[in-house]
Amino acid sequence: MKLLVGYTADERGAEAIELASAVVAGTKNASLQIAIVLPAATPFSAIYPGGDHGYESILSAQVDAWAAQALALVPAGINASVVARSVSSIAEGLIELGQEFEAHGIVLGGRKRHVGGFFMPGNITNALLHSSPLAVFMSSPTSLDSLRNAGGKITRLTCFVGDRPGARAVIDLSARIAEARQVKLRVATLVAHKDVAVTAEDLDAHVKNTREHLVQVIEELGIEAQIDIVIGGTIDAASSQLSWQPGDLALLGSSRLAANRRLFIGPKAQRILGNLNVPIGVIPTLETTR
Amino acid sequence: MSQELRQDNPPESNDSGLHEKGLSKGTVGVMGLVVIGISCIAPAYTLTAGLGATVAEVGTSLPAILIAGFIPMLLVALGYRELNNAMPDSGTSFTWATRAFGPMIGWMGGWGLIAATVIVLSNLAAVAVDFFYILIAQLTGQDWIADLTKNLWINIPTTLVFIAIAAYISYRGMNATKVFQYVLVGFQVGVLLLFAIMAFTSDAPFDRTPITFEMFNPAGVESFTAFAAGISLSIFVFWGWDVTLTMNEETTDPNKVPGRGATWTVLIIIALYLAVATGVLYWAGVGTTGLGAGNPDNQESIFAVLSGPVMGPLAILMSLAIMSSSAASLQSTMVSPARTLLAMGYYKALPSSFAKISPRFMSPSVATVASAVAAAAFYVITRLISENALWDTITALGLMICFYYGLTALACVWYFRDELFASARNIIFKFLAPLVGGIILLVMFFATAIESMKPSYGSGSNIGGVGMVFILGVGVLLLGVIVMLYTRVKHPAFFKGETIKTGKNQAQKNLSI
Repeated sequence: MKLLVGYTADERGAEAIELASAVVAGTKNASLQIAIVLPAATPFSAIYPGGDHGYESILSAQVDAWAAQALALVPAGINASVVARSVSSIAEGLIELGQEFEAHGIVLGGRKRHVGGFFMPGNITNALLHSSPLAVFMSSPTSLDSLRNAGGKITRLTCFVGDRPGARAVIDLSARIAEARQVKLRVATLVAHKDVAVTAEDLDAHVKNTREHLVQVIEELGIEAQIDIVIGGTIDAASSQLSWQPGDLALLGSSRLAANRRLFIGPKAQRILGNLNVPIGVIPTLETTR
Repeated sequence: MSQELRQDNPPESNDSGLHEKGLSKGTVGVMGLVVIGISCIAPAYTLTAGLGATVAEVGTSLPAILIAGFIPMLLVALGYRELNNAMPDSGTSFTWATRAFGPMIGWMGGWGLIAATVIVLSNLAAVAVDFFYILIAQLTGQDWIADLTKNLWINIPTTLVFIAIAAYISYRGMNATKVFQYVLVGFQVGVLLLFAIMAFTSDAPFDRTPITFEMFNPAGVESFTAFAAGISLSIFVFWGWDVTLTMNEETTDPNKVPGRGATWTVLIIIALYLAVATGVLYWAGVGTTGLGAGNPDNQESIFAVLSGPVMGPLAILMSLAIMSSSAASLQSTMVSPARTLLAMGYYKALPSSFAKISPRFMSPSVATVASAVAAAAFYVITRLISENALWDTITALGLMICFYYGLTALACVWYFRDELFASARNIIFKFLAPLVGGIILLVMFFATAIESMKPSYGSGSNIGGVGMVFILGVGVLLLGVIVMLYTRVKHPAFFKGETIKTGKNQAQKNLSI
């Protein structure tokens, strides 16, 4: 497995490499393509006086130094190389580089930001979550603590699905990723009872239907997976009840609003993202290759 | 094992695309270059800040001095172009002068450039703030708002906010787009032309002064000191034009575009300046009372006073043009001292913390903050101790530009000293043009510096009988000498020539640190 790491020479970048290393570790041809992207020089904002040229050479020397530091962060057994490139848009540049190097996904380090009570991914992450044709993996300091508690190893995959048709593709892909890594798979569904039912009987029926549907999907796919259906007043309440173990990696499918083979993060997934304290991967649902 | 793997995969710096300059390669045509040139000059800002002070020195010879001021700028810029072609990866007065003259003079060249840009930053912010309040007053019809800028308790905090915003934008690496620049430049030029037309077609000029040929005759300036002061001010109004000559790789045709772009830029700018300057003289005269351009009260910011009476309700366009041009320049100019500080930190001419680059925004971090703090401090100090801060800073700025431009021009001659007479082209571009230009500017520098010691010089502000302009201009340079000597003791590597070697016979990128 090969992942493209969007690297910045700070803690976020180091965290992204740490997560990416854990995700690829143990897979066939485990490798990281570390990308340092720079904003493209725009001649229409000419720097005066002095010109750009002196800065360009200092910057390129600095990038070389950062590249060496980045490689030193990659653990043994994982092949890694660095590419630095000027791009007009950082998100688009990462996608281009990911496709050019035939990566299976893009990894970013990040911070949780809450604006007006809502989780807001950073600008670049957000742009990727709404357009990337590749899976996007995100870390945060708390999620890395979970990973470190497991000795830097992924121990279980938890894929989030709804009760709708898209679930099957997400489970299928997650199962294959889990299999490649030889870890267990858990299928989790969050039920906000205010949204689905008025009475307790309705709720029970909904949960039962959902469970039967998931069991059926899992049997059809011929895989083993634990099913967790968590009920709460809201999505936030439900997701806070889900239990986690060190080394968990959460996987979410892209919204059905997404164009074919592109990510589009839905509002529900966005809420889940904000609540999780484990590393997260968002995968394009119609992706059928590994 | 990982060690081996890593060595199989060295940093692919050659594939990095850094040296390709991303998408910028060859996208700028003649028209684009003219727009870039005009935006760097920022004519709406330079005219309002510099015209009054120049009239104070040369009176009705304003058009002549504007034309004469371009000549040393042209000569020096030709030398700049040669240095830029010979050392394309260096790119500032600091590195050029160090290569030519060694660390001490190179250090002062860098300091001069930083000082000039820091001074212009404080002035740009002040002008932007003045017109910010004027604009609000014009929009709301509440005249008292325009006077808020005279209250230091309001003016200084607002100016500091403007500087902080500009620093933040440049730290974030946000860039002006092509469309933005075209609109901004087109608007500026249009409004200035409108001003000139309205001044000439006005029914009731304040002091109708016929335009004569004598106004265009540089010999008509009464004294040499007035001439020198006028030249150093008009250097300021052309400052920025040389960017058109040093843009090569960015243009669609490096052989033709820079020359044509530079020519068109200067023709347009001179035409614009002459139109506005003669318009001001025709409408307001150089009288020292009322709306006369010779009235010291009007000279700090000539359009703040004249645009209302000349343009009536359309004066709001002038306020908008000046505010947008000075705010945009404030942001783009902020990058320059930051990058020179960064280069000086990188080559160990300053503590290496100045060389820090933000890993997220790929812009200088410590150096950007330092530039903003310096500009803010300079502004607060001049505002508090000078009665006429803007005027004095512009004059001091003229001094500073003459200093580092003159130094860089002579650096060109000295750097190419063993090939000066190799061809007719070299004689002109590497020897005569920079030599004459450099000498003119340094003579202007010394003449103005000596003259500015008089307490009556410039706006008439003085401390202990020494003119404010001298204190600001020469004081900043002396401060540079002190900082340099201190750095030399604390961080001797640069001064021993360990980071940048003097002379030509070495690799272009001497990054051996």
